[in-house]
This record gives sequence, structure tokens and C-alpha cells, in this order.
Amino acid sequence: MVAERATEFDPSKIKDQALRDLCNVLEGVRGKKSLVVDKALSGPLGLIAQPSLLQDYGVVQLHWIEDGSIDYAASKNILYIARCTAKNAYSIASQIKNAPRIPGQDFEHSLFFVPRRTPLCDRILEDEGVFGDVTINEYPLYFIPLEPDVLSLELDDAFEDLYLHKTYTSIFNSAKALMLLQQQYGLFPRITGQGDKGKRLLDALLRMRNEAAAEDASTSMALAPSSIIENLVIIDRETDFVTPLLTQLTYEGLIDEIFGINNSHVELEASVVGAAMQGPAEATGRSVGTAPAAPQGKKRKVLLEGSDRVFTDLRDNNFSAVPAILKKTALRIDADFKKKDDYKTVSEMKTYVTKVLGPAQKDRTSLSMHFNIAEIIQKHINTELFEKTLEVQQSLIAGYSSTQQHELMAELIARGASLETVLRLLCLYSCVSTGFKPKDFDLFRREILQGYGYEHVLTLDALDKVALLQSRTVAGSTAAAATRTNYDYLRKPLRLFSESVNESDPDDIVYVYSVYAPLSGGGSLNPNSAGWKGFEDVVKNVGGKTFDEVQKGEDKAVRARMILDGQNEKKVTVVFFLGGITYTEIAALRWIAKQEEGKRQIIIATTGIINGNNIIRAATTAARTKPRQT
Amino acid sequence: LSGKRGIAFDEIAKSAFEEGRGRLATQLLNYEPRAGRQVPLLMSMEEDEIALDKAIESTDSDLVFYVLLHLKKKLPIATFFRIINDRPLAYSLIETSARNIDTELLKDLYYQDDRKSDGANVILRESLMQENFTTRIDKLKLASKLLKDSKEHALDASALEESIKLLTIQESLERDVFEETFVGLSLNDTIFKLTRLGFHPRANKIRSEFKMPDKRFWWIKLRGLVAKREWA
Repeated sequence: MVAERATEFDPSKIKDQALRDLCNVLEGVRGKKSLVVDKALSGPLGLIAQPSLLQDYGVVQLHWIEDGSIDYAASKNILYIARCTAKNAYSIASQIKNAPRIPGQDFEHSLFFVPRRTPLCDRILEDEGVFGDVTINEYPLYFIPLEPDVLSLELDDAFEDLYLHKTYTSIFNSAKALMLLQQQYGLFPRITGQGDKGKRLLDALLRMRNEAAAEDASTSMALAPSSIIENLVIIDRETDFVTPLLTQLTYEGLIDEIFGINNSHVELEASVVGAAMQGPAEATGRSVGTAPAAPQGKKRKVLLEGSDRVFTDLRDNNFSAVPAILKKTALRIDADFKKKDDYKTVSEMKTYVTKVLGPAQKDRTSLSMHFNIAEIIQKHINTELFEKTLEVQQSLIAGYSSTQQHELMAELIARGASLETVLRLLCLYSCVSTGFKPKDFDLFRREILQGYGYEHVLTLDALDKVALLQSRTVAGSTAAAATRTNYDYLRKPLRLFSESVNESDPDDIVYVYSVYAPLSGGGSLNPNSAGWKGFEDVVKNVGGKTFDEVQKGEDKAVRARMILDGQNEKKVTVVFFLGGITYTEIAALRWIAKQEEGKRQIIIATTGIINGNNIIRAATTAARTKPRQT
Repeated sequence: LSGKRGIAFDEIAKSAFEEGRGRLATQLLNYEPRAGRQVPLLMSMEEDEIALDKAIESTDSDLVFYVLLHLKKKLPIATFFRIINDRPLAYSLIETSARNIDTELLKDLYYQDDRKSDGANVILRESLMQENFTTRIDKLKLASKLLKDSKEHALDASALEESIKLLTIQESLERDVFEETFVGLSLNDTIFKLTRLGFHPRANKIRSEFKMPDKRFWWIKLRGLVAKREWA
């Protein structure tokens, strides 16, 4: 456990720690080794380390656990890194059992569980009879800083775990991750939040505080309220499914909608990335994941992040503002290139080459790629299907629900819109209108089953269980009302809908969806240091439990803490999205952070980044496992 | 004692248990805040249900599942089902793990709880995994039969019957139309493909068999014709 003292909030330390820990893992096995990694970890690990790191630490080959094939001739050291799940424990056990037995040549198996080793996995290895043949350790990887203001656990299956299967492993991992922050920066003085699963997270966090206290009496110092962090806001995705169901209209949001962003990487056609980008893109293709044997397709992985200046200017804007920004950037780069005449002496020229020319060249390559991406997005949003989809979404958000929307939805199905698009609309309808009328519900179920296949009986059942797509008889029941967010009521007091937003110079977070302010974005604004006061009526109409907890410490410890850290003027608010956050919500929170600059620093934390398509795909898992039929 | 930090109640409880004072040991363990230490000890004291509840309180799903694995091995299945039935987290964990590795257990569980629709879904999922056409149909029949018994699932039952009808039609299409696959396509896609290939009477016949609304049929037909012209 980290007990390092800190005087300001610095997420880069988390990354450094994760990298150090990874090096320790690799050093833990001496000499040459074969590395076998859980595929789910390849993305997150790629964000922490360059692939060259593996070579430096003697990794001679890289395999996926899922593939189950290891070249045993390459090395006698086999190193596994895997998330601690029962499934992984079983696969690893069977691979160890099947390792060839060659007299005089013993394989050394080491296993690092992420983020921790559990009695469960030990038990499985024991039952499978390999417990004695493997050295088991843990690699405590929790938050990964995607950006200076975004921490993510990068848990791909958090949505299924929380809302579909209700197994809550991600609540425990979230609590652990937040606990690590508390150990470094002190207790969150106030924790407010909304949602039933959010409440579970709070309970887990409070419990862990007690466990930590029992662990060691001397840690009481670390468990005094923080003087750097002012509060933690926990938002349970379940309280607002509407936001991710809508089509995101920011630049980064649309990239995610159309191409899909995974672990900050997007896969693009080589022609889109551009010839100039290809060299560097290969060198910085930071995914440890690209296994040596992986076939090189026409697609290229590109890292989208804040160090790309062109992208930083674009990412959080409404797409309608993008062409103007691209043009401005082009002019700026052009000016940078022309500046060379201003530099006369040799030392001036040197400054020019390193400080101006280098970055300008980098910007130019990036700009040409973003021109290409913007062009594809523009084509996509000009299609009739996209326009009709947006039309239905915006009418539903505005509170109109008429036969016209029904007809449009049926038309989209008949015209072969993707299952994701259609189900997102149906779920949106169900969420804002307290379910479908039974007659319409049956009608649309039929449309889906005949349009996309009868196997989606399973998908519809899953969406019903998550309360995303329901009949009014179920959704309208008193039991469901307590956990359901009442958009009809909230539309006005929270000004969720607005048609008069300035998209190029926004005056409200509405701009991220053109007409809709994410409830979750507004919700996190309200509970500040004063808790929910004044918003009781509003939160009563948001689904799930409302909570507001003040964490106190012993007076002595609080004073000591204050003396050590000093009194910071600018306090940090950590907003934690349990069950995922969208790029639009991140953009909206950044917009708010900008308004509050100087007073407050907002750090966004989450189990992972999601969009509507991910949600629908989570529900479709069962129906998707269909092999080729004969 | 309970207000003090740093007291290892697990160790005190352990000594109490070793002295033969089981009840006192259990009571003492209530003061131990660290579930990771409390639960294994409770299990060794054979206080299984208390161990399970303490694990659930800890929000540590892995710990809960650990106790569950132990209980499943130790207890008759009916007792095991009874224990997990009133503990939602335990139930979800067993349900999820069984979905991946032990569908028979899942069927038993749903049968015991009379969860017909969930039981039918397990069979439907099995049907989707089947490569053999006849077994696939048989499983679908079984699932729809299970649903037919209850009124609220009548719609799902008829959907599954429809899917059997469609699969049978698709199989015969594959026999008549060479080198084209139909099995597994949705109803809409089947009509689209038939239109694209120029089999209009067949498309019309299926349309009426499934009572497809006019508007939808014409949209699909339009798309099919456009696609046909493009490829001609």
C-alpha cells in the first residue's frame, strides 16, 4: 500500500507507480521469459508501458491466455499476468497441467494476478492440482490515468457485472482504487452520491476504512480527512441511462460512436491515418498487445490523447464547430512554418528548429489525419439514417412521444439500421416514457425479432432485466418507480432540454448533445461542499438511493494533516462514475471545470469509458455466441 | 474493547475456539472488521452460513464465491439452493458462473424456483450453440414448450415457434437455391436476400406466412431491388 505524502493532486504519480510495479513483475522472473497475458489486460498495459519495455526485461515471446498455445521451446520461464477471475484461473491451471514434461528441463511458472490474489483463485489452482507448481503474486493495478484529469479502471465488463449479472466485482475494485487515493491524499471529507449501486460503493469504502484502521493503528495519520481533496461525488450509471443511449455529438464522442475507442486507441484505415503518420504510429503503437505473430492488416491503431495538440483543441467541441477549428489550426501551423525568417542567428535557428518547427511538423501530420477523420464523420452524419435517428432522439428528449416517432422507429428497422441504433432508440423511448404501452411493446418486440433474428429473445430479456426496455405494466409499478429516474419531472428544473445553445462558443453543457444536458453532468454539479441541500426535490426524482456522508478523523490527526499539507485554496472534487462514463460527459465536466477554474479542480474517475453501443452489446452477449450452422 | 484500534479479534476468537468455546468465538469474531480474516475462520469453525453472510457484507464477490464453492461441495444440492435463494448476491454469482461452465446446474436452479422463462433461455442458448440442425430445432421446441405453460410468456413461446417455422423454410430454401445460405438469417434479411436474388413469389409467400406489415415489406423489397441492380 502506498503511503506517500502528497501536497497536490498529481495523477501522473499513479502511472509511474503502475509502471514501476510492472517492472517489478517482469524482474520477478530472472532471465529470458515467455509472457502470457490476459487479453483484457493488453489495452490497459499498453497505456502504461511501451512495447520495447518487454524486450528490455527479457521477454522473448508474448502470448494470450485465451489462445492457449505457448511455444515451450523459447524459454523455460513462463510468466502469466491475468485479471483475477475464476475463468482465468481455470485456463492457467489447464495450461500448466499441459506443459510438456521433459526430463532435466523444468519449467518455472509464475503468475501475477491483477489487481490482487484471492483465496478463490488459490483454491481453484489447488483443486486443479497445480498450486505447488506455480509461484503466485499480485500486481495491484487499479486506476490508470488516461489524461491528467481522467482516471479509469478500464474494466470492460463493469456494465454486465453491475447491472446485468449483479455480481458487483467492480464495486469492490472501485472501492479499493478509491481507498488507495484516500491512503495517499487523506479521507474524502465528504462523499455524496446517487444510485443503489453507488450506495453499495459508499458502504464498501466506509468498510475498508475500518479494515485499514484495524490493520495498523499507526496509519491513523493517513486516515484523517484530506486537505487537498474536498469531496467525492459518486454517480451510478443506473441513475441515468439516457445520456449514453443518445448519439454523442462532440468530436471525440462521434469518433467513439463511429469507429469505437478502446483504451484511448482507435483503429483506422491506413489511408485515413495518412502516409506521414504511419512511421511514427508504428513506433508509438504502444499496445503491448501486438503479439509478434499478429497479422498486419490494413488498419492502424492510433493513440488519441492530450499530448496531440490538434486533437486537444478538437476533442470536446460539438462537431459543428470542428471545421472552423481545423481551419484555424491550419492557418496557425502555416504561420509557424513561415516564422523561420524571424530567426537569424545560429542559436536562434536552433531554437526555431526544436521549439517551433518540430511541434509544427507533428501538428501538421496530426492535422491531416483529423481532416480525414472529420470528413468521414461528416459523410456519416449526412446520411438519412443518421438524420432520422437524431430526429427521433431529439423529439423523445424534448418530451414528445407520438405515433410519428413510432413510425420512424419502425421505418429504421425496415431500412436495415443496425441493431445497436434501433435498440438504443427503443431503450431511450422506454426510459423517458416509463415503458412502452403493452400493445406497442409487443409490436416492437416482434419488429426486433423478425428484423434481427429470434435469438434476440435473449437480448430483449436482458434489456428488460436491466430496466432499459420494458412494458409500462412493469416499468410503471410502484417498486420500479423508486429506482427509476423521472425525466418528465426533471426536464424543467434541471433544464435538460434546450434548443438555443451556441455550439461554437457554448454557454451551457447542453452543447455536447446539441439539445440535451446530460443529467449526470448536471447532477455532479449540485452536490458540492454543502451536500444535496436545496436539491432535495430534484434528487428525489432521480433513481435509487441518495447519500451524503461526512468523514471525520481524530482532531489531533486532522491538525497534523493540515500542518503537513498546508491549506490549499484550490480544492479537488473527484467525480466517480460507477458503471462507465461517456466522452460527452467528460467534455461537459471539463466545461464545468473551466468555469470553476481557480476555485476547484475536477478529477473524473470511472470504471471505464462507455457508449450506447457498448451497453447494447453487453445485453447481446448471449445471443451473439452463435457459431456457424450447418 | 470494540472502540480500540489494532486489536486482532480474529486471533482472540481463534484461541477461544481452540479452547472449545465456539459460541464465544463466533461472538468475538463479530468485532473483527477484516472480512478476509473473519470468513476463513468462520468456515473452519463450520459456521458456514454466518461465513457466507459476512462475506456478502464485505462486498468482496471473490470471497463470497469462495465460500459458495466450499458449500456447494459440502452440501446436498437442495440445501445449497435453499441457502443461496434468499441471498441475491450469492444467487447471481452462482447463476453467472453456471452460465459459463455448468448449464445443468442452472436448469436445476431455475426449475426449483419455477423460473420458466430463464429456464427456457438456457435451452435457447444451447440451441444457438448447436451445429446440428435437428438438435437445434428440438431444443427450440423444448424451450417453447416450457414457456407455453404460463400466460405471461405466451408471446415468447410463439416467437420461438415462429423461429422453428423460419428455420425449416430456410433449410428448404438452401436445398432449392444452390450455393446460398439462408439458415440463421432474420425474417427481414431472408426476404431481402430472396428479392435480391429475384425469387419474388417465394418472398411474397413468406411475407404472408409471417403476416409482415405492408410498409415493412415494401421497404425491404425496395432495398433488395436496389441491391440487385447494383450487382447485376
